[in-house]
Amino acid sequence: MKRNYKLRAALALLAAFHVFILLAGFFAPYGFATQDRDMAFAPPTRMHFVDAQDKFHARPFVYVFKNNISDSSYAEDLSYVYPLRLFVPGAPYKIAGMFSARVHLFGVDAPARISLLGTDGYGRDQFSRFLYGGQLSLFAGIIAAVLSVGIGIVVGSLAGFYGGWIDNGLMRGSDLFFALPWLYLLFAVRAALPLHVPEWEVFLLLVSVIGLIGWARPARLIRGVVLSARERNFVRAARGFGASDAYLLRRHVLPQTYGVALTQLALLIPQYILAEVTLSFLGLGIGEPVPSWGSLLATLQHYDVLSSYWWMFLPAVLLVPLFFAYHAAADALQERYESISL
Amino acid sequence: MSVRRMPSQPVDPPEPLLSVRGLAKEFAEHRPFARARRTLLAFDEINLTIRRGTTLALVGESGAGKSTLARCLALLEKPTRGEIWFEGSNLLALSERERLPLRSKIQLIHQDPASALNPGMTAVEIVAEPLAIQRLGKKDEQRIRALELMRQVGLSAESACKRPLEFSGGQRQRLAIARALALEPTLLILDEACSGLDLQTQETILDLLADLQAAFAMAFIYVSHDLRAVSEFAHETAVMYQGRIVEHKPSDELFENPEHPYTQELLAAMPSMDAICAGRLIGVSR
Amino acid sequence: MKYLGRRLVHAILLLLAISLFSFVLLQLAPGDFFGSMRVNPRISQQTIDGLRATYGIDKPFPIRYAHWLASVANGQLGVSLAYNGPVAPLLRVRARNTLLLTGISTFFAWLLAIPIGLFSATRRGKAMDRASGAATSTLLAIPDLLLFLALLLLAVRTGWFPAGGMISPGLEDVGFWSRARDIARHVVLPALGLTIVTLPVLVRHVRSAVIQVLESPFIRAARGHGISGSRLLFRYVLRAASNPLISLLGFSIGTMLSASLLVEVVLSWPGLGPLLVEAILSRDVYVVVGAVMLSSVFLLAGNFVADLLLFASDPRIRVEQAE
Repeated sequence: MKRNYKLRAALALLAAFHVFILLAGFFAPYGFATQDRDMAFAPPTRMHFVDAQDKFHARPFVYVFKNNISDSSYAEDLSYVYPLRLFVPGAPYKIAGMFSARVHLFGVDAPARISLLGTDGYGRDQFSRFLYGGQLSLFAGIIAAVLSVGIGIVVGSLAGFYGGWIDNGLMRGSDLFFALPWLYLLFAVRAALPLHVPEWEVFLLLVSVIGLIGWARPARLIRGVVLSARERNFVRAARGFGASDAYLLRRHVLPQTYGVALTQLALLIPQYILAEVTLSFLGLGIGEPVPSWGSLLATLQHYDVLSSYWWMFLPAVLLVPLFFAYHAAADALQERYESISL
Repeated sequence: MSVRRMPSQPVDPPEPLLSVRGLAKEFAEHRPFARARRTLLAFDEINLTIRRGTTLALVGESGAGKSTLARCLALLEKPTRGEIWFEGSNLLALSERERLPLRSKIQLIHQDPASALNPGMTAVEIVAEPLAIQRLGKKDEQRIRALELMRQVGLSAESACKRPLEFSGGQRQRLAIARALALEPTLLILDEACSGLDLQTQETILDLLADLQAAFAMAFIYVSHDLRAVSEFAHETAVMYQGRIVEHKPSDELFENPEHPYTQELLAAMPSMDAICAGRLIGVSR
Repeated sequence: MKYLGRRLVHAILLLLAISLFSFVLLQLAPGDFFGSMRVNPRISQQTIDGLRATYGIDKPFPIRYAHWLASVANGQLGVSLAYNGPVAPLLRVRARNTLLLTGISTFFAWLLAIPIGLFSATRRGKAMDRASGAATSTLLAIPDLLLFLALLLLAVRTGWFPAGGMISPGLEDVGFWSRARDIARHVVLPALGLTIVTLPVLVRHVRSAVIQVLESPFIRAARGHGISGSRLLFRYVLRAASNPLISLLGFSIGTMLSASLLVEVVLSWPGLGPLLVEAILSRDVYVVVGAVMLSSVFLLAGNFVADLLLFASDPRIRVEQAE
């Protein structure tokens, strides 16, 4: 079916993206903090197949960028050819914080550098920083979304299943969160955290803050599902067999909510990634040198960077297919589970 | 004449299995701004008894309160007044915990089996569910018993892993019956259990029920508006009209000599027995 | 009327809760505005303590909150530590600037969204619908930040529009119309950015609301009676679709103070957004609380307006409440 095809393509793209970012160390030719002051603001490295002597190489190769001090531009030094190598040993990195490795997918011999997305003001490779930044922004978004939906499931199930004053109280609580302009609230809560704090703590706090803001809508939707599931005949029948509330929830009611929960996840993840990006962009996220997609874009606030170095936009451009894929997945899920749009 | 499905003599102890006295159910309307609370009467002054191994039919038009009564008897809803005596105890006076073991003995079969079965569970899981809930035996023992029950209702073991939607309407109803049998009930309440099925399937279900009754001396309360099936299947018939029982007699007598005007109307609206029998002898196979 | 009264009380209680919530959040912040002064060795601890006492920051939390509530009742929102003046006038000026921006973009966004959504819904599946659907999806996938930065780039590179700010420097004393023209030139880019960003979601909602109505039995019946074309569209369909759309409008109005934060920062528009960011970075407590409160008031007011409009336009709600 055509729709299935769209969903599959979106999921494949998402899977690829996530794998690249998860294994950032492997796919990135350089570390995220590796500076090279001689190569500040270098444009993306170009790959060639034909060299200056008109010789064709089967392997693509790059030239060294020579910094022309007088007008601060970069020109390719055509004297030596540096072929692209695969599975190159390079700077050590850790996979999932546990396993050490040194192999990188691709690289070139020194003194050439391969910067697919160019470099920033400190000569750091933007492509590597993009992948490492993704580890922060992407997973912050995902974890926060899981948190929101998780709280939503708990609150929504309790409110829908038990009704009465529990329902009233919980829904009034969610009203409070609906009434808050969430971006402002996010900022206000961020203000409550110290500005300069060790990385992982900030990450966790950031994630919890973002996640705690958005539980209200999933809770509402799940409550609706639980309300109707509660009345189904097979639930009544199970009750007739003497089933406890916990059993009914676990076995019959909650499985009905998974569709809505999944759809909400697909909707919230891109929103939360953007929230983290916005925070980092404004300097309210995790500090240097840990990159995040937002901090990669922060230099664009300087006019000279904005107008002269177009490649600094590329990290943002790369986000477009990611969000597109998430939205397509969310649309497909929505159609499948027929959730009510709010 | 028509073939009787049930044994000609009711079996076992002459004391009633279930005895209902003065049962009534009112619904209060929830209208927060209304001046007076109106109450809707579902049924009132219901007195019934039923013995093991017999079938009591409850007939009447839709909206007469039959289904609500059925649910109250199955303890799925709370009546407003009255007593339900079952195996020597007044069920309504007991606490939930005391009621639990007795509750298992009364089971309800719904009209629409699809809604009564969780579409995400497999057949054997559904049938074993009561055992799982009550924690009777270990998992594999439960599974074996479930397969045995399925066999009893005529479902093969191959269909054990299928889901409800993969079965036909009649098979789903069998599944529901198998599940209801798991806790070895003595009273089965069938709320329009055959109404959604085609004639042929109805026959097979009724056959199954008759066999079960003969084998286990179960009592049935058969709620229906299909008088033909009732006439063949039930020992006694009670007619409900606007929430009250207006006539309650052994089926033969009722169909020969209806006394209450409403009963007469009902019977008049029914196609004649002879015509039906004639049709049966010619066309319908078993 | 009782219904609206109840909603009003509800809203006020909610506001109180929000104020408490924001206050508590900021209370949890380690350090305060004057903490950063300690880095300067020339400022003694006594001075800092004195400053804290002057501004009442050293008092325990419940007292501060009570004081703040009392001053709110007086129409004052506390004092800005960074600007060294009362918060309320500061917020007023910035809020006015923000509303100018968001007012324009909300207006244009709805102006475009209704016809686009309407015609996409009526010509569902055909070329126009698919084109607008693709455009909507693409726009949704573009992060706001990217768009705003691109607009900024446009300004810097081409010089057609000013790259930021609301008024060109040195122009404070000219006549009204010149000032208005100048502001208009400045508002184009941020308003454009904001409109583009809010448009896709609106179009989608309008489209789905209209589609739901079009598929409903009563519209089919109307068609069966021979009603068709624009009469059907405007007198029947739009009316029926207005319920969810009015709620959406309420939400649009409600977010008029908060939706523009990012665009204001990127394009240097002097609204509430940049003020809030500054205040957070410098821990200017009362400004933060005041800004959050103000935008919450707006959100609640927007929903309230929507409730009012719904009450007036949807007879079902009136009947429901009267019973």
